[in-house]
Amino acid sequence: MSSDQTLLDVVKSEWIKFRTVRSSVMGVIVFFVLTLGLGGLISWAVRSHWNQTNGPSRLGFDPVSTSLAGILFAQFAVGVIGVLFITSEYSSSSIRTTLAAVSNRLRLISAKTIVLAASLILVSEVVCFATFLLGQAIFSGVVPSASLGSSDVLRSVLLAGLYLTLLTIAGFALGLIVRQSAACISIFVSVLLIVPIIFAFLPQSWQNSYAKYLPSELGRSMMSPFPAAHHLGAWNALIVLLVYVIIVSGVGVTLMIRRDA
Amino acid sequence: MQRMLKIDHLTKHYKDTVAVNDLDFEVKPGVVTGFLGPNGSGKSTTMRIILGLDHPTKGRATIDGNNYEDLRSPLHEVGALLDAKAVHPGRTARNHLRALAASNRIKRSRVEEVLEFVGISSVADKKVGGFSLGMSQRLGIASALLGDPPVLLFDEPVNGLDPEGIRWIREFFRSLAKEGRTVFVSSHLMSEMALTADQIIVIGRGALITQGSVDDLTATAQGTVLVRASDLTGLTRALEAKKALVQATSDSGLTVTGLTSEEVGDTAFKAGITIHELTPQRASLEEVFMDLTADSVEYGTSMPGAMPRE
Repeated sequence: MSSDQTLLDVVKSEWIKFRTVRSSVMGVIVFFVLTLGLGGLISWAVRSHWNQTNGPSRLGFDPVSTSLAGILFAQFAVGVIGVLFITSEYSSSSIRTTLAAVSNRLRLISAKTIVLAASLILVSEVVCFATFLLGQAIFSGVVPSASLGSSDVLRSVLLAGLYLTLLTIAGFALGLIVRQSAACISIFVSVLLIVPIIFAFLPQSWQNSYAKYLPSELGRSMMSPFPAAHHLGAWNALIVLLVYVIIVSGVGVTLMIRRDA
Repeated sequence: MQRMLKIDHLTKHYKDTVAVNDLDFEVKPGVVTGFLGPNGSGKSTTMRIILGLDHPTKGRATIDGNNYEDLRSPLHEVGALLDAKAVHPGRTARNHLRALAASNRIKRSRVEEVLEFVGISSVADKKVGGFSLGMSQRLGIASALLGDPPVLLFDEPVNGLDPEGIRWIREFFRSLAKEGRTVFVSSHLMSEMALTADQIIVIGRGALITQGSVDDLTATAQGTVLVRASDLTGLTRALEAKKALVQATSDSGLTVTGLTSEEVGDTAFKAGITIHELTPQRASLEEVFMDLTADSVEYGTSMPGAMPRE
């Protein structure tokens, strides 16, 4: 008699699925290229204009966030990886084949989340450390640079990778709720890109009190060594982001279990 | 290893439509059971509920008393081919099967076995998005067989297969049943089921119309009698007096419904009409099916062969 299905079996299965489609592989490549390419470019621009940079700007310069700046663009790539990991199953209706093989839906979602989180934390940390080191190498000698020896710097780079991983999970959870790739990606981009723009038109006092809770601002807090004005500290920002991800995931899991596939 | 598939007073509503209405039947091991109904009659919905994909509004579908969600190793219990195109188009056939196999702890060598068995080994490393419907059907059959399950479900499996493939699949269903498995095959073509199935379940508009063996179904069907005679007008009058339905055939004969051939012969004799031919005609299974489901065709055409013109 065959043995019972376990979470580990489903994790293995989802790992095969994750690495055998072009969307996830391409997503990871785009993520690499965007983060390192743009991070390097921005760092280079700062270096070449450093002589014309005035005193106050020099004082406000943060070599850590600047070297990580590519993340602001790359975060959409990881979001798409998370979204497509589930919505592609709905668009191709392969979700039915999947659920016939893994009838316990909570087990399926857990396995997918584990595969996504494990691969993304690995990739994101590698990318974040690489772009940080690239940036510092570009700065060295001309612009003040940062070192991983400082605990605040190390924390910023580590949390930058965690921010990207959590965004991927959020994209995945959004996919569970919306189930359509295009709609899902639009929502994801709107929250990170459009909502902050809308916020900029609100009264200054509102911006000061609430803008810090926007996911993109939480990311900014997490990946800079010093808290900016009207921003949360890095660890508090992480907690708020975690709460968001847990809420979206909770709704996603509940709907996934209740709805017809 | 034998498993009974039981549909227990199953009802499924989608918003305001009733897809399945108090459906109740059993599918036994060791035979091929055909699941027949016109398009939109609720066959696929029933199949989806059996697999736990859709949740029933009322009632349940069980495999030896268990809900699908409670199966401990689903692919080892039930193999299913619902929609051959329900695979990620960007993945290769081999990787698709490997992922499925891994989820139920099935050995890699089994993947190669089923690929070989359905005859798609040579295209196993091609992306399934480029597969023809026939190749996709074979891949679907391969995935249903992965876990060597005692229960097998196939939704419209002959769609897209060439005649050779259709013959192959008929033999294949038979052999699965002979091994003691429960084989449940849906189709909207009675003629196909007549050749494949031992037992038949007919549904229309989500409700059970009839069930039984293929022979039972044809036996209960109302036959007709073909008669040729010297005086057709006189015979028609005499037969209609006996409350029979009489229709002239194109080649100067009469088709009589509602009387046996003995009764037709006796009537003609009493009316003093010479009979030239008297042939009882057994209804084909196809006609039985059309008869049974006439009231429940969801998307019926108004008249056979009549195309609307401008």
